[in-house]
Amino acid sequence: MISRIPTVCPYCAVGCGFYLTRSGMEYMQDHPVNEGSLCPKGNAALDVLNHVERLRYPMMRVGGDWIRVSWGEALDRIAEEMDRALRERGPKSIAFLGSAKCTNEENYLFQKLARLMGTNSIDNSARRCHSPTIIALRRILGTPAMTNPITDLALSDCILVFGSNLAENHPVVARWILRAKDRGAAVIVADPRVTPTAWLADLHLQLNPGTDIALINGMINVILREGLESRSFIKDRTKGFEELDVSDYTPERVSSITGLSAGDIVRAARLYARARASAIVYCMGITQHSCGTDNVTACANLALVCGQIGRPGSGILPLRGQNNVQGACDMGALADFYPGWRSVDDPMAIDELRRLWNAGTLPLGRGLTADMMPDADLRFLHVMGEDIVNSDPTVSRRREKLRRGFMVVQDIFMTDTAKLADLVLPAAAWAEKEGTFTSTERRVQWISRAREPPGEARPDLWILAEVAARLGFELPSDPEEALAEINQAVPAYRGISRSNAGARGGIIWPCPHPDHPGTPVLHTERFSTPEGRARITPVHHTPLERGSPEHPMILLTGRVVLHYNSGSMTMRSEGLVKRDPESHVDVHPEDAEQLGVADGDAVVVETEWGRARARARVTPRQKRGTLFMPFHFPETNMIASELLDRKSLMPELKVAACRIWRGE
Amino acid sequence: MMAKIYLDPERCIGCRACELACEREHGHPRISVGTVSDLAAVPLYCHQCDVAPCVAICYTGSLRQDGDMVKFDSDLCTLCGLCLVACPFGAIELDSKIQRCDLCGSGTPVCVMTCPAEALVLEDLDTVTRSTRGRAAGLLAARLR
Repeated sequence: MISRIPTVCPYCAVGCGFYLTRSGMEYMQDHPVNEGSLCPKGNAALDVLNHVERLRYPMMRVGGDWIRVSWGEALDRIAEEMDRALRERGPKSIAFLGSAKCTNEENYLFQKLARLMGTNSIDNSARRCHSPTIIALRRILGTPAMTNPITDLALSDCILVFGSNLAENHPVVARWILRAKDRGAAVIVADPRVTPTAWLADLHLQLNPGTDIALINGMINVILREGLESRSFIKDRTKGFEELDVSDYTPERVSSITGLSAGDIVRAARLYARARASAIVYCMGITQHSCGTDNVTACANLALVCGQIGRPGSGILPLRGQNNVQGACDMGALADFYPGWRSVDDPMAIDELRRLWNAGTLPLGRGLTADMMPDADLRFLHVMGEDIVNSDPTVSRRREKLRRGFMVVQDIFMTDTAKLADLVLPAAAWAEKEGTFTSTERRVQWISRAREPPGEARPDLWILAEVAARLGFELPSDPEEALAEINQAVPAYRGISRSNAGARGGIIWPCPHPDHPGTPVLHTERFSTPEGRARITPVHHTPLERGSPEHPMILLTGRVVLHYNSGSMTMRSEGLVKRDPESHVDVHPEDAEQLGVADGDAVVVETEWGRARARARVTPRQKRGTLFMPFHFPETNMIASELLDRKSLMPELKVAACRIWRGE
Repeated sequence: MMAKIYLDPERCIGCRACELACEREHGHPRISVGTVSDLAAVPLYCHQCDVAPCVAICYTGSLRQDGDMVKFDSDLCTLCGLCLVACPFGAIELDSKIQRCDLCGSGTPVCVMTCPAEALVLEDLDTVTRSTRGRAAGLLAARLR
């Protein structure tokens, strides 16, 4: 009898290991990333598993009521409705949303089902965290993923953190940055707010929102002027350098754009360029902008000009949000990519999959993302494990429009998205099923089944295989069989098996054959672009100009340490909720005084998209002229921006012009 | 010298994992993180003082010095609450019974194990000061490089 079963934390993408015991949890001190430690959410992970509100039976909406139905009835109905939509309106009328919380095997089969049904309208929440990373790093470096493992940060001599509050959102990453500091590394944090991450910084660049490109180009300007670039790296490993003209971005001009002192810009540039090994860590402060793809491009340019990539401690580390967001993307649960990062616009690449899947034809061209779904005339929508109503502003505001067709939601709780559905299916949670998760550092880890699902809840893989069978497709319901097919479809996963992914700490892709040890550091000798060189790509700052006389302040959004994304999990954890119970808005003391707002006041925040209520928190951590609201609370979502980055379809969630007043 | 929990306030990121871990283990958190919003976070907990105000004020002998540690015997406790006021760290709470750190009995306390930032350590004082000296020397040397 095994007394404890190893598992991987279901929250963020750091991929921390711990053990589940019969009655609780134990720390896993030999896990390579977390070494036994866990953040507060990880410590509270069992609250979700054992929660009384877990969905237990399939339920069908009849009028205003939910009635319990059998699995047979539920699955037959899904197949009927999908088939009907296809016959009457064609594949454009159906859509699927995969989940960065589900396993690789589940996402792989879900997107396969969508594509066999003739649509690329399959997406996941990666759209709202790192879609710009996918587009930019794939184009520039060849591989849209973190270049180095998290533990590598301990080897860095300079760590440049852009738009990431990792101390709250990926606390275990702070462990490795602190180890680097112990060795004397310099830490630079660029963020408009004073966050716990900024506490770690030797240099905090409190820049104006939306001025990242100006700052980075300004740093490159200093680097080139002072001859701190790596000539040999630029010559041997990159192309496009000659087109990079940053002569306009003098420290003085960048100072006026960013609000930083010219001296700090020069200092940051020198620290980053001169260090033996420098790393760039970035997160949604870079990506969630209408210029998100260009922001990522700027980060990559800086690393390439200095040759700070492809070595231990030296690389680009986009911190991803969910436990399997990297994997869901690798598996092609994206409207613009098939498995293995094959573009939906590349018929040659897709043809390999057509043969593997024994399919007649496969759809080409980008499908719908969640943001587009309310305004598309959908007749069938199948959502697996995502609460889009509380994570996507467009869907939040136009949720009723999703109900025009038949909607299926499979989840572990009755989320606000599930409440809209015609049919709700109870899914097994992470510890009640098997399969692989890929963490932010490309670490693929097999999780074992440690508990029985409640009631009639079933693993998502089983549900998908049953639906597919009713539509005439044979999909594996066994995770190991599904992984064997992923070996064929996704080159980076070719050698990944239950055995190597199930070992302590799993294995880091690319893993080209079963005996391969994995590849922690990418781009050591060549880049994975077709020509083997990285493509330096000029990008320029364009003024945001979001403010207006009616809405003179800027609303920033982000996360807090005790909550997670849409809150469907953390809001059900007593220990977390009682410590952080309600939505708040951070206001700088001088702004607060001017506006007549006191700490603890009920306030209304208005953007052009709507109004939200919150409790004011007056704090000098907030930058003057800006407000901050955590997006775990539905209110924030209702007023976030709908503007999109045209290249990646990422919404501009980080900034919205706003005003605030005291009142209920 | 006995190992106790020591804090490096420069490392604490204020995530409160220690509170959640302690609460899960003991039903009530015996450590709490005080955050000074624009500056730092400081976990507050029982330091097992060698000259312990809580022991000095406890008139029943429920709290007593036992070697390097402060031990607590709930059978003798009258729930008078004097120790709550006496503790300079506010590290004792009353929740139907006295809640204070007992270092999780044996082994490494959960707050130390869970701390992502390694701000909390279980060490004896000599080891703590030695490693602090080592780190300080390393930092000075790095500045010379």
